[in-house]
Amino acid sequence: MQQYDLIIIGGGITGCAVARELSRYRLRVAVLEAMPEIGAGTTKANGGLVHSGYDPKPGTLKALLNLKGCLMYPMLSRDLGFRFHKTGSMVIGFNEDDLAYLEKLYRQGLENGVPNLELIRGKRIFELEPQTSPDAKYALYSPHTGMVDPFEVAIAFSENAAANGVEFHLSSPVSAIREEDNGFVVTIPEGELHATYLVDAAGVHADDVARLAGADEFNIIARHGDLLVLDKHCGVQNLMTLYPIPSKETKGVVVMNSVSGNTLVGSSAEIKEKDDNASYQEGIQQLIAGAVKLAPNLNPRKIIRTFAGCRAVVENNHNDFYIRPSKKVPNLFYVAGIQSPGVASSPAIAAYVAQMLRGYGVPLEEKEHYVAERKAPVDFSELSPTEKDRLIQKNPAYGKLVCSCECVTEGEIVDAIHRVPGARTIDGIKRRTRAGMGRCQGGFCQHKVLFILARELHCRPEDILMEGKGSQIVFSKLKEGR
Amino acid sequence: MKQLSFDVVVIGGGPAGMAAALSAQEQGAKVAIVERNAQLGGILLQCIHSGFGLKYFKQELTGPEYAQRFIDRLAKTDVQVFLSSAVLNLTPDKKVTLSNENGVFVLDAKAVVLAMGCRERTRGEIKIPGDRCAGVLTAGLAQHYINIDNECPGHRFVILGSGDIGLIMARRLSLEGMKVAGVYEIMPYPNGLYRNIKNCLEDFGIPLHLSTTVTRVIGKRRVTAVEVSRVDEKLHPIPGTEKVIPCDTLLLSVGLIPENELCLKAGVKINPRTNGALVDNDLQTNVPGIFSCGNVLHVHDLADNVTAESERAGASAARFAREGKLPAEWTPITVKCEMPMGYTVPTCIRTRKRAPIFFRVRRPLENYRIKVQSGDDVLLLCKPRDYKPSIMENITLPESILKKAGNEITLTMEPA
Ligand SMILES: Cc1cc2nc3c(=O)[nH]c(=O)nc-3n(C[C@H](O)[C@H](O)[C@H](O)COP(=O)(O)OP(=O)(O)OC[C@H]3O[C@@H](n4cnc5c(N)ncnc54)[C@H](O)[C@@H]3O)c2cc1C
Ligand SMILES: Cc1cc2nc3c(=O)[nH]c(=O)nc-3n(C[C@H](O)[C@H](O)[C@H](O)COP(=O)(O)OP(=O)(O)OC[C@H]3O[C@@H](n4cnc5c(N)ncnc54)[C@H](O)[C@@H]3O)c2cc1C
Repeated sequence: MQQYDLIIIGGGITGCAVARELSRYRLRVAVLEAMPEIGAGTTKANGGLVHSGYDPKPGTLKALLNLKGCLMYPMLSRDLGFRFHKTGSMVIGFNEDDLAYLEKLYRQGLENGVPNLELIRGKRIFELEPQTSPDAKYALYSPHTGMVDPFEVAIAFSENAAANGVEFHLSSPVSAIREEDNGFVVTIPEGELHATYLVDAAGVHADDVARLAGADEFNIIARHGDLLVLDKHCGVQNLMTLYPIPSKETKGVVVMNSVSGNTLVGSSAEIKEKDDNASYQEGIQQLIAGAVKLAPNLNPRKIIRTFAGCRAVVENNHNDFYIRPSKKVPNLFYVAGIQSPGVASSPAIAAYVAQMLRGYGVPLEEKEHYVAERKAPVDFSELSPTEKDRLIQKNPAYGKLVCSCECVTEGEIVDAIHRVPGARTIDGIKRRTRAGMGRCQGGFCQHKVLFILARELHCRPEDILMEGKGSQIVFSKLKEGR
Repeated sequence: MKQLSFDVVVIGGGPAGMAAALSAQEQGAKVAIVERNAQLGGILLQCIHSGFGLKYFKQELTGPEYAQRFIDRLAKTDVQVFLSSAVLNLTPDKKVTLSNENGVFVLDAKAVVLAMGCRERTRGEIKIPGDRCAGVLTAGLAQHYINIDNECPGHRFVILGSGDIGLIMARRLSLEGMKVAGVYEIMPYPNGLYRNIKNCLEDFGIPLHLSTTVTRVIGKRRVTAVEVSRVDEKLHPIPGTEKVIPCDTLLLSVGLIPENELCLKAGVKINPRTNGALVDNDLQTNVPGIFSCGNVLHVHDLADNVTAESERAGASAARFAREGKLPAEWTPITVKCEMPMGYTVPTCIRTRKRAPIFFRVRRPLENYRIKVQSGDDVLLLCKPRDYKPSIMENITLPESILKKAGNEITLTMEPA
């Protein structure tokens, strides 16, 4: 049986951030993820907004970790080589009622300690973002708000953790947990693993995992949200993040510019079943209406994709994160209920978790040789022609364009497969390299990606999945002997 | 990085690019074609059905056969063909940057012909709600898996869209032993040619459901069914008419869109009605020396028309390369159109000799005639007949009319 000091269940942004933080210390750590890819749960299906922290209720864990996380991002993005765009944001008010709300939000932001918040009005709004609706009268401006690609961040965390010795077991759903030998025996398809400590970061399934360990302590409900992606040319461009006056449950329909330059619109909020990643007509309509209200030039006909995810909400926990040790099972720790802004908070969550673990006696001794930095993969599209030429001379695979919409080469795809932990699926390649993410949505390149995956992984095309088990793209050869 | 110079650089090696290159070469130009795939032929290579060449070669050919005729002709010329080479950038001063396994090349061109073809509309664009699972793919991608890759992309299909591509795929799937549960079309009329409805659906017993669309995709990992609903006159789904159709694949054949990213980089202006460039009767865009033809200009249903149009573009490009500009003896005539005419190509005429105008109607019209006006003067009223949105139409304006046209004409359709 493989022995670890600590096992993290769940390879979303939360699990990966914690893994990376713990990889500083002399611990044998493993991450177990049910899906074949990192970040394939809620982490792949959100806005990627790094909120600046005026929104959570003062005094909550969320308020503390959101603010801290946001301020950690600029430095982290340099260390780990992922894209972080400090876009700034405005919450837009159209009338006096809205102004009253903005004032309240402003005071709440001050109470949370958010720096450089400003209540502004009139001309200043349009100086900051000329594409804002001309009806806008007031705004709460927050310069620290940023954007990331959430799965890029999770992948960066995971690669850096792996470089520092954390082991990743993918396609490894945990099906049983029992207490044994001063620790836990955890069952995954590959077999049984032993660990002294368990960290439950299983997203919407964190309560199910807790129950596997014999701790029936909390319940999670899934708050579903739809999102829209628009073409890079969609009437607005390079938009500063615009929020409406928030509703009770969410921050309302937000319009933002992804780090790759696509306009995103998110998100609706409805309680649905866990793992319901379907898009709903009502949600989509609500988003379009909300987006056009903030940025009237946005052309809804330029939507290239809709997607959806589920926020993990711990019941009776006042919409706060649920980060604490189990009351029932010693050495089991929850990093659960990581609803929005879980992405923004993740670096701070990781630091907070490390502190908590230390407090409960987990030995955290610093390693001698800790690698704090990760080298980002090559982004061919961003290179100058001379750099492109040089790269192709070194490796001709970079001269084979696979995805024309997003300018992704075979070299980048092969690299994505062979990184640790590497891409295994069509969607994994898409999230790591953007191949298939553009306006044709893989119409021209999906088959090429499929065959590269099969070749590099030494398997048959029908073994390649879109993402989860049972999601194959092709079934068999049509005719033998061809 | 290597630099090369050409009179004419053609981007895209489908039927449009090949015809443009050949005709430019015949005019004496030094020509290059850049094609991102490993072979010339474009989308034709995967269209293994017959039905190509009836107009141009007076013969019924398959797509690859049609393409091969041009590939063979090109082989006898000195046109330089860059295969497996993707154009990454095009500047207004006509520098074409491409990359291939040998590195990055900059081709300095006197004239450029855009012939990049089109892409298919996707699930995201038509916003079909429902689960996010494998098994939803465009007809062209399915066609590639089946006809080129020898892979089976599904067992039981629902096809959305009754355009020719959807119809041809319905037959293709049936021939390969797969089941097509039905073809669904949101409009109250089929979008494909009559011959294809007959040969591809009726002959195979595949039902066609009009005024019906897919309203939800169902399936956790792979499609297990789709929900279809009937739609009202405004094309909105009618609640209560939902039906669940079991299938493992949803094939989308819901339209093509010219692939114009490169044009934007070069400052070429796009016609929002076609998503292709705005061109004049020489097929020249607003950027002098940049021409456009084939599916990147507007979506064609027949490769033969692509070839004819592209030969004109190639000849114009060669002339531009030779003379540094195209003759502008006349003040241009702006060509406008009104509904139910959807668009015209060109939108500007710089000659008074004769000018063909291509267009499509937006809905089926029975017994309508084309009217050409300049201000309040009616210059031309054609004989009435029926028109269909699925068929690209054309009308040639003769010298006598162009001379009377002033600086603007409007084309409309009116009931006889
Ligand atoms: C619509 C929407 C919009 C959002 N927008 C934003 C935003 O703009 N900014 C922001 O900061 N936050 C946002 N969020 C919140 C953010 O997405 C989440 O807080 C974050 O992704 C949570 O990450 P996680 O790692 O905790 O969960 P997940 O990413 O869900 O990871 C949990 C992982 O555990 C795995 N798992 C589950 N059960 C098991 C098992 N038994 N064995 C092994 N593995 C298991 C799952 O497969 C999954 O990969 C949004 C959320 C939604 C839904
Ligand atoms: C499924 C289907 C069935 C059809 N059936 C018929 C039929 O029965 N009869 C008929 O007459 N017509 C038919 N057609 C229509 C006909 O095939 C098309 O109108 C014609 O192929 C369009 O030619 P094109 O050269 O404009 O575009 P394409 O054939 O699409 O060629 C464009 C080329 O440009 C290349 N390219 C694009 N961008 C770049 C870049 N950046 N760098 C380098 N190269 C690039 C592409 O790889 C491609 O090879 C059918 C079309 C389809 C899709």
